Amino acid sequence: MPEPLLARSALRAHVAPEIAAPAPGVVLRERTDLTLASVAAFKGREAELADAVRSAYGIELPTTPTRVAAGEVAFVWAGPGKWLATATGPVDFSTLPAAVADQSDGRSVLSVSGERARETLATLIAIDLHPRAFTSGDAALTHAASISVHLWQTDDAPTYEIAVFRSYAATLWRWLVHAGQSRGIDAKL
Amino acid sequence: MSQSHRLPQGGLIDRAKPVSFAFDGKRLDGYAGDTLASALVANGVKLVARSFKYHRPRGILTAGFEEPNALVELRSGARREPNVRATTAELFEGLEARSQNRWPSLAFDLMAVNQLASPAFVAGFYYKTFMWPAALWEKLYEPLIRRAAGLGRAADAADPDSYEKATAYCDVLVIGAGPAGLAAALAAGRSGARVILADDDFLMGGRLNAQRFEIDGNSSSSFASSIVAELRSLPEVTLLPRTTITGVHDGGVYGALERVSDHLATPAPHQPRQRFWRIVAKRAVLATGAIERPIPFGNNDLPGVMLAGAVSAYLNRFGAAPGKRAVVYANNDDAAKTVGDLVAAGCEVAAVIDARGDAPALHEAARACGATLVFGRTVARAYGFQEVSGVEVSGPKGDSFNVPCDLVAVSGGWSPAIQLTNHLNGRPKWDERLAAFLPGVTPPGMIVVGSANGEYGLRDAFVTGARAGAEAADSCGFSGPGFQTPRLLPEPEEAYGDGPWRPTIKRGKAFVDFQNDVTVADVELSAREGFRSVEHLKRYTTLGMATDQGKTSNVIGLALMAEITGKSIPDTGVTMNRPPYTPVAIGALGGAHRHKEFKPTRLPPSHFWAEEQGAVFVETGQWMRAAYFPRTGETDWLQIATREINTVRSKVGVYDASTLGKIDIQGPDAATLLDKVYVNAFASLGVGKARYGLMLREDGMAMDDGTTTRLGENHYYMTTTTANAAGVMRHLEFCKQWLWPELDVHMTSVTDQWAQYAIAGPRSRDVVAALVDDGFDVSNEALPYMGATELTVCGGVKARLFRLSFSGELAYELAVPARYGDAMIRAIVKAGEPFGICPYGAEALAIMRIEKGHAAGPELNGMTTGADLGMGRMMSKKKDFIGRAMAGREGLADSARPVLVGFRPVDRSARLRSGAHFLPKGAGNEAANDEGYMTSTAYSPSNGHWIGLGFLSRGSERMGEIVRAYDPVRAGDIEVEVVSPVFVDPEGARLRA
Amino acid sequence: MRIACPHCGLRGVDEFAYFGDASVTRPAADAAETAFADYVYLRDNPAGAHRELWSHALGCQSWLVVTRDTRSHAIETVEAARDVALARTSEAQS
Repeated sequence: MPEPLLARSALRAHVAPEIAAPAPGVVLRERTDLTLASVAAFKGREAELADAVRSAYGIELPTTPTRVAAGEVAFVWAGPGKWLATATGPVDFSTLPAAVADQSDGRSVLSVSGERARETLATLIAIDLHPRAFTSGDAALTHAASISVHLWQTDDAPTYEIAVFRSYAATLWRWLVHAGQSRGIDAKL
Repeated sequence: MSQSHRLPQGGLIDRAKPVSFAFDGKRLDGYAGDTLASALVANGVKLVARSFKYHRPRGILTAGFEEPNALVELRSGARREPNVRATTAELFEGLEARSQNRWPSLAFDLMAVNQLASPAFVAGFYYKTFMWPAALWEKLYEPLIRRAAGLGRAADAADPDSYEKATAYCDVLVIGAGPAGLAAALAAGRSGARVILADDDFLMGGRLNAQRFEIDGNSSSSFASSIVAELRSLPEVTLLPRTTITGVHDGGVYGALERVSDHLATPAPHQPRQRFWRIVAKRAVLATGAIERPIPFGNNDLPGVMLAGAVSAYLNRFGAAPGKRAVVYANNDDAAKTVGDLVAAGCEVAAVIDARGDAPALHEAARACGATLVFGRTVARAYGFQEVSGVEVSGPKGDSFNVPCDLVAVSGGWSPAIQLTNHLNGRPKWDERLAAFLPGVTPPGMIVVGSANGEYGLRDAFVTGARAGAEAADSCGFSGPGFQTPRLLPEPEEAYGDGPWRPTIKRGKAFVDFQNDVTVADVELSAREGFRSVEHLKRYTTLGMATDQGKTSNVIGLALMAEITGKSIPDTGVTMNRPPYTPVAIGALGGAHRHKEFKPTRLPPSHFWAEEQGAVFVETGQWMRAAYFPRTGETDWLQIATREINTVRSKVGVYDASTLGKIDIQGPDAATLLDKVYVNAFASLGVGKARYGLMLREDGMAMDDGTTTRLGENHYYMTTTTANAAGVMRHLEFCKQWLWPELDVHMTSVTDQWAQYAIAGPRSRDVVAALVDDGFDVSNEALPYMGATELTVCGGVKARLFRLSFSGELAYELAVPARYGDAMIRAIVKAGEPFGICPYGAEALAIMRIEKGHAAGPELNGMTTGADLGMGRMMSKKKDFIGRAMAGREGLADSARPVLVGFRPVDRSARLRSGAHFLPKGAGNEAANDEGYMTSTAYSPSNGHWIGLGFLSRGSERMGEIVRAYDPVRAGDIEVEVVSPVFVDPEGARLRA
Repeated sequence: MRIACPHCGLRGVDEFAYFGDASVTRPAADAAETAFADYVYLRDNPAGAHRELWSHALGCQSWLVVTRDTRSHAIETVEAARDVALARTSEAQS
């Protein structure tokens, strides 16, 4: 009988360097505790899905680029009729009346926070993250210097979470660390 | 003597902070706040450069970014940078600058003999000389021209500094921080709007620092600094000094270059040298001011001839006197300020020469300082050895006299700096009264104010700037108290001047474009030879080219041409400008993305394990793939790949196939969609079965291929080639959203979700069986070839197991969630040890697929149809699919088209090469005899000789025939035998074992 | 250039992939080969308003119909391609 398989992050220090900063302007971490799933409504069954999400999680499915959270679960708008369901810890989204695909391993989620998070991100992400344009609860599908990202803001620290295809995670981490170095980044795996 | 020309007081330099620097190896001193040019002026250095073509001695002409002459080489070693404008380079401790374009030294430049040969170097000389004989080009002319021409030398080591790109958003972008720009920024900023104020100078204020006004009872420079202080206090205002807006792009996007660390010897730790901004602005206020024009006269390029406004700037802002005895030569009243500045600085004004008739303001200034006043006359020439020592003034009757001086302050009027208004194709309009181009159609959202709009008065600058700033903010929904024009003394003079464009008496070369050594005579020659439109003039004479893009010369050149041809200036043409406004280093445009970070690198789940194994990697698109896994003693890649292949074909191997695109397809119409995109049927595929599919483009050519598995009634799992994954996904969405919007189906990329390993070889079933959890059957009966199942491995990890083979052996693909990918490959290798497993890389796979005749990138090359690939029979006749109609075209259905077949050399020791063309035996080496081409070749370990795949006309009917593989580029011409493309196990028995 | 994705808002052109003319419609399966040839190869090249297909490839993956002035790059309208296609289908049916 083979040994049980150990789960591993896509990041390792030699491709995703760690940096300590005493009074960091920006803090970079990986969220390794998230369950993720793409959820897409079937034709004519949009209301059924909305009802199911409402009754299961107490969440009103967003129809604009926003993230609605309740407790451990959140639904992030992911395009018309599509969402990225997230949960802290294991939650089975596959029972929803929709096209559901597990993405818990397909995406790595990086958290970028701190008072210089915005200007650090501005070197990679070309959307306007000024509080007048993007605030806690807002979400966007865009790119970080050509890497597709799905990002949302969770608080006014500000904290941003960036979901990226797993194979790109090390590159994005490295680019964030590079951009953050002049801004006092604290990056820890 | 140190700083011989520094004024005893005044200027915005910090005299408490001396700065030491070197020019051409000579140590000199300046102060913090100096530019390299102002420090050179303060040290009495006039000769700073040699000109491009004639190697004439050149000095400093301007005090800003428009400088055509004073280009120097800055720093040394890897940071050596050519063509830095001394007028914008900030002085820093230890700065090293060298003159360029001279040999052996600036004062004694041997290349100045070009002047003696100047008839050979007139406009268009490179079209006329060096033409014949052509054979001399490569060996003689080109090296000669390369040595003599060009500006400066690039560094010959990699740039050690880093660069950054960033995006910024604002409501109002204000371009230029002179009086108009400051007023606009403050009016907008006080409203609470998000404002960015960018200025290329390190000290904001523009002419408020270069000229002397009294504003609200204070100096204009202190007024400027008080406005800057208020702007700095506003939270939504961003000040970007040392930042040039380089381009205006569609949709309110502006390019901007911020010179973050150019004013330091080396950047601070982790700080970029420069940052390239993309600024997205709802509104823009263009307040770039105006650029003074020279006046052509003989030897008007002698060091010591300087624009009048620059003279004022060096005196007022830098406390440095460009000369001690000046002649002011102007065609407008604005030069009166320079006369006043010279007098105030204690310089002697020997003469004021006004090309116009009687004009009060300038003449008043001349009389006030007791200078000789000459009007209605022009300067015929300047004279002096390597720097000016006097001017010869001519009169209408041919009489002339000399005025000795060491400085000639010239003002030929001003040209509004409207370059940015041209960037979206807005043509400027000529204004007769101002003798200048004004903005015509401006870019959407842009307002032009102050001198940039021909409103030269200081009051006008404040008024128009403030109004535009307030309006721009208002249109973004912000209103505020605006900006009230302060009390001004004195009221500034009119700055426009019309000609003279052409010297009346010709003595010496009269330069129009200093940077390109274009003279009045060159423009006349261009006209004589028929190059009369402004575009021809530019190309023929090079007027307006190179780093300054004719900022001081374009209008003069155009006016000259108009005068020569008897046309009006608008009829002669307009000069248009394109980005960048000033030169931008490629490094800045690249930002942080260079070397290995030029593009992202995608790491498959086995990457870290493969690193531990000592794998050699190959980049495939963005993916890093293990190419092969060397073992001790192995050095040659082919030796290694051969060993890997032999292991797979005799025992078992494992390969990371995770880079293949993987798309999860769900919905009631999933099968319908697949039937529309694949040439073959998928609705008929049973659950738990996989099928190879071929996709065409609508024009009938093959687009991509892969296997698709039916996981459930309405659930499929598609794989694509590594390279086309994103393109196929976009194609599927195109079909779903645009072609057949009624379909109820969803696609999700799950490429990164699954780590997918190919386990291939006769012992692969043993390895798989050792990994799957109890209760799952992987026997040939339970999981036959092209079967698929969901199960668990290694104690409960959910997995998908596919019986697929690319290698041609009994094989499986095992997919587990990517987080287990690292552990999975280790477990597979461990489980495979008893069976002799080895990992194999992309090289072994690439050879094995050729051995099996599988088409890949070289065959799916955009020019081949399904029939060409030997898959004609796969194409369904019962359904419509993308590419069906066009694939049936006569030309594509032609049976003489080259089709995919295999090749082996008649001489089995011969090497085959991709790219060779097939010719019949005995036929001439002509295109007419071409019968197709070789696409993929490899040394086949399984066959013991080279094999090839290629497209040969009627190839499938020609088995056993001998043709020639002709490769003239590599001198190859060998005989090959046409064979089946399947070189290993043609019956497919191993697949089904 | 910036394109206003109807779902995501104004975004830089680098998020979008250009495809081509949106005014051509894929012929029915039984249409003549010449109709397909026209669909695949024949394009107008207007100086002025042009309806064209773009994909919000580095965004929400939506296909868009962008009406753009080819002379100035000014964008008049941006519609979700699926909505345009559905309207086209229902028009054809009515």
